[in-house]
Amino acid sequence: MLTFDQVSKSYPGGFIALDRISFELAKGEMAFLTGHSGAGKSTLLKLISLIERPTSGRVLINNVDLKRIRRSQVPYIRRDIGIIFQNHRLLMEHTVFDNVALPLVIEGFTGKEMVKRVHAALDKVGLLDKVSCLPETLSGGEQQRVGIARAVVNKPPLLLADEPTGNLDPELSKDIMRVFEAFNQVGVSVLVATHDHSLVARMRYRTLTLKQGKMINDGLLQYEEPL
Amino acid sequence: MSILFSGRAAGASSKKIPVLQRWLMFWVQHLRQCIGSLGELWRTPLASLMTIAVLGVSLTLPTTLHLLVKNVQSISGSFTQSAEISFFLTEEASQTQIQTLVTMLSADPEVAQVQFISKADAMAEFQQVSGFGQALQLLDENPLPNVILVLPRHTQPQAAEQLRRRIEQERIVDFGKLDIAWLERLDAILLLMRQAVLAIALLLLTAVLLIIGNTIRLSIINKKEEIEVMKLVGATDAFIQRPFLYTGVWFGVFGGLLAFLVVELMVWWLEGAIGQITELYHSSFTLMTMSFAEFLTLLLVSVLLGLAGSYISVSRHIQAIEPSGP
Repeated sequence: MLTFDQVSKSYPGGFIALDRISFELAKGEMAFLTGHSGAGKSTLLKLISLIERPTSGRVLINNVDLKRIRRSQVPYIRRDIGIIFQNHRLLMEHTVFDNVALPLVIEGFTGKEMVKRVHAALDKVGLLDKVSCLPETLSGGEQQRVGIARAVVNKPPLLLADEPTGNLDPELSKDIMRVFEAFNQVGVSVLVATHDHSLVARMRYRTLTLKQGKMINDGLLQYEEPL
Repeated sequence: MSILFSGRAAGASSKKIPVLQRWLMFWVQHLRQCIGSLGELWRTPLASLMTIAVLGVSLTLPTTLHLLVKNVQSISGSFTQSAEISFFLTEEASQTQIQTLVTMLSADPEVAQVQFISKADAMAEFQQVSGFGQALQLLDENPLPNVILVLPRHTQPQAAEQLRRRIEQERIVDFGKLDIAWLERLDAILLLMRQAVLAIALLLLTAVLLIIGNTIRLSIINKKEEIEVMKLVGATDAFIQRPFLYTGVWFGVFGGLLAFLVVELMVWWLEGAIGQITELYHSSFTLMTMSFAEFLTLLLVSVLLGLAGSYISVSRHIQAIEPSGP
């Protein structure tokens, strides 16, 4: 599904954000991406969502080299990737429905089909009753779930999440992770970037750990009881 | 169509949806964005009104000048209608020769009307009109020549002048007189005015273009966050641009209507004053207002300006906004 082949990314000024990263995420696999802030997690996600291009190496999604993708094709690539943001990035002046419907509107859906899909996505994250609320009136956890609903509403085969539990308490974090697990169980590949080690350890999924741009661990992380 | 996943039906272009419905969806979406941008104007009424007012007022000036030129032209046109050529005949011309010439001229395709005024008729008329009746009695013989009045079919100065030169070649014609020098001057002045209108219009329209471009730029900057999110969930530049372009179109529509209203109001206001003047001159002149075609042209120009102004802005600024990261 997702392949990194000796990928490096350096920024002007010589800062090396990623250093020869190689890994593969199978179809329907769920994995965590951990590391301290500045370790390169965000850069890695940016390379997948084509916000940045690698300095060297290849990034492939479903065996398509992203190097081949022209600027004008980037939007179509992003439609196949559901992205969940740390600060959820909802449009605050629009209702929950409008926010979730945005990817569908962009793809040209109208009418009943759109309503059906939006309701289905909101139902999966348990927010069907908030459909006409403004995001401001929702709690942090609910806002994040609206963000997830927006990311999955057009059923992308690949889901990326950047610190989805960053601002949430452990109980809510667990809820969010369960939502991801549910999507993973229906065949969606999921990559979750987080620095919440205890959560990662408890969930027992494959974990990719970055440190100063290098991959230092690929596999299960030892369970560490938080002090 | 999905680039990455060939089997994946991408959105509305999936095979399930028939072509006709997809085509309809496209227009429904256009309509939605069109109405959406109208709502956007409504949400920022003051800023929108100011831009519309600038556009409207800027269009009012050239439109008014155009109407002015049009009215002056219509007046000069009615004068041109009476551009007769007088041919004064030589003393030696015999009655038969004159008769032949009149018949010949009547048959000329470039002549609309021929009228022969004999020296006797002219004398009688002169006596009646001039008030020199008594004095003229004292003359031994009639000093007035025979005259043929010719009304050209083509009343433009050049055509009339050509006709005059041609008929002057006739043996019995002494000389022809076409009093169109002042008409030519008027025409020249009108041409100057028309060019001035054009120049002023161009300057104002350029200003309007820049103002609309700037207004749209500000609203793009205001929506930077939203544009970034849209780009992240896969919106193409064209999709993001459309509401802004529609905003420009709306500016154009309302600006054009405003200009139309202002001009009509001005004409209505002037009509009273002009009525008084024409009454004094015993003339039946009525001010010409905008025709429907002119109204449509005004609206079209206005809408095109709005569209062009926003396009200048949109094409540069929307591309420049790139999401900085997930």
